[in-house]
Parts: sequence; C-alpha cells; structure tokens
Amino acid sequence: MTPEPETDDELLMLMRNGDEQAFVTLYRRRQAAIYRFAMHMSGSAAVAEDVTQEVFLALIREECGFDPERGTLSGYLFGIARKLVLRQLERGRSDVPLEAEGEDSAWPELAVHDDPLADLTHREGIEALRRAVLALPRRYREVVVLCDLEEADYADAALVLDCPIGTVRSRLHRARALLLEKLHQERKFRPSLGAWKPVRCLT
Amino acid sequence: MEAGQVFDVSKVFDMNCQEFWNTMPELARHGDRSGHLRECAACAALWERQRALTAGLRTVAQEWGHLQAPARVEGRLTAAFRGHAGLGARSRPARLWVPVVAWAAAAAALVALAMFLVSERQPQAPRRAAPRATELAVAQPLPDFAGNQFGVSGDSPYNSDEFIPLPNAARIAPNEDVNLVRVEVPRSAMIGLGFEVSAERASEPVQAEVVLGTDGLARAVRFLDE
Repeated sequence: MTPEPETDDELLMLMRNGDEQAFVTLYRRRQAAIYRFAMHMSGSAAVAEDVTQEVFLALIREECGFDPERGTLSGYLFGIARKLVLRQLERGRSDVPLEAEGEDSAWPELAVHDDPLADLTHREGIEALRRAVLALPRRYREVVVLCDLEEADYADAALVLDCPIGTVRSRLHRARALLLEKLHQERKFRPSLGAWKPVRCLT
Repeated sequence: MEAGQVFDVSKVFDMNCQEFWNTMPELARHGDRSGHLRECAACAALWERQRALTAGLRTVAQEWGHLQAPARVEGRLTAAFRGHAGLGARSRPARLWVPVVAWAAAAAALVALAMFLVSERQPQAPRRAAPRATELAVAQPLPDFAGNQFGVSGDSPYNSDEFIPLPNAARIAPNEDVNLVRVEVPRSAMIGLGFEVSAERASEPVQAEVVLGTDGLARAVRFLDE
C-alpha cells in the first residue's frame, strides 16, 4: 500500500500531473486558513469565498510560479490571497456592512470597566477586538491577521508581505499599540457613540 | 500604574526600554527572559496590557478557527481542476504515471461538450430564425450573474463577451448558484452556435467558459478568444 503523501510539495507535484485526489487533499488542508485570512482582512464572507476560489484556481492554472526554494506553499498561497484581497479593497467591493452588525451590534450597557482589556475573553470584548482589527490600516491589519490570528512565523509573514522580518516586527508592535488605543477609545466613547457604526479602513 | 491608564504609544523609551520593545513580539509569546520588566514598572504595566491583548487575539483566532470556505467552492475548483488536467495532458509530458482511465474520462468529457455544442445546430441560420420556446426561456437576462446577460443580440453572431444559452438547457433561476468552468474545445464547436470558422482552423483549440447549473449540467457558454 502506497503511503499518502505528507508534504504540500509532494501533493503539488502530484496535482500538477493530474492527480485530482492530491488537489482535493491540498485544498482541504489549506483552504480554511486562506478563507479566514481573507475574512479577517475584508470582513466579508463573499469576498473571502471569492478570494479562496481564485487562490486555488491560480494554483490549478499555474499562473504564478511557486518556487519551493523561496518559501512554503502555505506562504505562497497567503501571498496570492493577500494580493487578491488588496485588489478587492482597492475596488471598494468589500465595503459592505460588517456581519457583526445587527442585533449583536448594540453596545452593552452593563459592566463597563475602566480597562477595555479586562473583558477581552468575553463575547463583547471579542467582538470589540475583531472590529478593532478590521478597522486597522491595511498594513497593520495584515500583519496582525497573519502573525496573531493565523500564527504564521515572522519569516513566513515577511515573505507573504514582501518585506524584511524587522519590518514585520515593527509593524506588529505598532499594530498592537494601535489596537490598544482603539479598544480604549471605543470603551471611552461608547456611551455617547451608541448610534455610530464601525467602519472598515480601506487604506 | 492604574488599571486602564493608556500609554502614549509615541513615547520615547530610554535605550533599555527601546531594546526591550524591539523584541516585544517574541516576548509576548514566550515571556520576558531579559529581566527588564522587574526593573521597569512602566514597561511591566504596558507588557501586561500587551499580553492581555495577545490573549484576546488568541481567543478571536479560536472563535474563528472553525471557519472554512463553503463546500461549493471545492465543487467548483474540482470541476475546474478536471477541465485543466484534461487539457494539460496534451502539452505536458507525464512525469508520473497517471491512470489511463483518468485521461480517457477527461477526453470523453471534452468530446461530450464539443458534441453537445454542435448538436442540432446549423451555422447562422437558426439564430436568425424565430427561436423555439425553450431557447426563448433560456435567453432571458439573469442580472444576478455577475452582470452578464444570458441573451442573444438581435442579429447573431453574438457579442464576444456574451454568454450564449445552450439549446435545450434549463433556465438558470434567479439567485441560483452557478459554477463557471473554463475549458478548451475545438474551434469547430463554435460552428454550432452560429460562428463562422474556416476549415483550416476548425481543429484549433479555443478557450471557452461554460456555466454549469447546480445540477452540474451546462447552461451557457462563451468563447474567450474567438
């Protein structure tokens, strides 16, 4: 019995020779992370679905040459996804209401703490943090999504973002500081801004 | 430092603090090994806030960890892969052994599509004649499909960017989830839909996009490089 290929590179080689099962295995292994990345970046399930489909279509069509010497296939797929998401954001097509809005968007009136970080493990704290991530400028949002939410290491993130590792570090540091600011501002102004809706930063 | 107090992120730390924060991302994951936090209350307080933030982000990641692309994406991609794999066999030498049955199935699918396109069609004339009721039904615009109209122009042949409804194909209902698959067919397949194709180019390949309904049957087609 032939053992199932383990690595992405093996699966890629097989799929490029027409092995459909190899493609399906590779897709199932990597699609969720790509989908979540696009979702975190755009805030739109429709955009995330489109981006996920286009990423793997590009892989099928071999439109962008993947070089195993330069990095992992996962990082390569994230790189394609990033470009597609940025293209979508530039078009403004993802500028749709955040899905968290609606019944859940009402600001809670109770349990107001001085420290916005105190309830980050509770529902409203998590939603506030998610909104804060989505409202980050693009260059900070993508590094938080990659490193903090998808737990990519800095070397992979640097390849995806096409920048030095030191830049990843500094952007991540700055992004976290911005998140703290946003969380605190949201908590500070919450009572008087109840009618305001969160917006997505398209820069 | 009082709970909830905000640090000025633009604050310039002294050299030791700066060095500490330069390695902050790693510390947030693995803890402070430098001992700096024991000596600097300001950094210690800020670091605690960063740790709380990191924990919150981890919770967000866990909350969203179950998310994945809808199953229909895999269906579309698998269909696209089959089309692409069938095309690639001719131009790319096989580096690994591929079952003959798989290639035969891909070739059969292409032949079936080509035959479907040319079946019961004559060049030009049918489109100028009054279409049958079924054709009229499938020729209705479908505004939900990426802005394209599944219709025919007044005098065929059609505009190059239009999808051409296939004869006897069911109409795509509004809001129906359709799949778009790019394939390559012999140029002769275009004859059946009213295009003029010279005899010497009839065997050339031409790229086409085929709209598949949720039942997997082809509904419409457009040629990309006619």
